[in-house]
Amino acid sequence: MTQPKGFRTANKRYMRIFVPMMALYCVAISVALTFIDLDTASTGVRMGAAVAIALPLIAILMAILRLVRETDEYTRMRQLQALSEGGVMLTGAIFILGFLERFNVIPDIPLFLFGPGFFFFYGLAHLRQSLGKTV
Amino acid sequence: MENNIRALRAERGWSQQQLADLLDVSRQSVNAIETGKYDPSLPLAFAIARLFERHIEEIFDDGRSVAKAAE
Repeated sequence: MTQPKGFRTANKRYMRIFVPMMALYCVAISVALTFIDLDTASTGVRMGAAVAIALPLIAILMAILRLVRETDEYTRMRQLQALSEGGVMLTGAIFILGFLERFNVIPDIPLFLFGPGFFFFYGLAHLRQSLGKTV
Repeated sequence: MENNIRALRAERGWSQQQLADLLDVSRQSVNAIETGKYDPSLPLAFAIARLFERHIEEIFDDGRSVAKAAE
C-alpha cells in the first residue's frame, strides 16, 4: 500500500493527474460529439470514442483513491466518509429508479448517468460534512 | 479530548494554515483538532508535541489523571 506522503505532496500528485485528465476528457467528448455521426460511424469508431471519453474519468477515479491513501489522516477520514456516503446514496437512487423503471412508472434511464450521479452524491456528502451533518 | 493547541499556536503567532504547513496536514485538520472534533493519531500527536517542544500530556488531556486510572 502507498505510504502517506503528507497533505501537500498528496494534493500536488493528485492535481498532476486530475488537470490533464479532465482536459483530455473535455477534448475527447467535444471531438466525439462534433465529428462522430452515431448513425453512420462504424462500430470501431464509436467504440474508440466511448473508450477515449471514459479512460480519463477512470484515471481521475484512480487518482482519487491514491489521494485517499497518501493524504493526511483527517482528510483521509473525510474523503472515505464522502466516498462511502456518496456510494450509499447512489445505490439507494439506483434501487428506487430501477424499480420504478421495472414497473414502467418512468422511462429507461441511460446507465452512464450514474457516473455523474455518483460525483453529485459525493459532492453532497462533502457539503453535509462541511455543515457538520452526519448520517 | 481537550487540548491547548490554539493557545500554543497563538503564543508563536502562527495561523492555522502555518501550523498545517509545518505539520504537512490540511488546515481543516488543524481546525478539527483544535476544536476537539477530531483526536489525532499517536504519530501526529507526537509531531505536534515535538513542534511545540512539549510533552504530549502537556498538550492533550483526556480528562483522566494517572492517579484515577490506577484506582
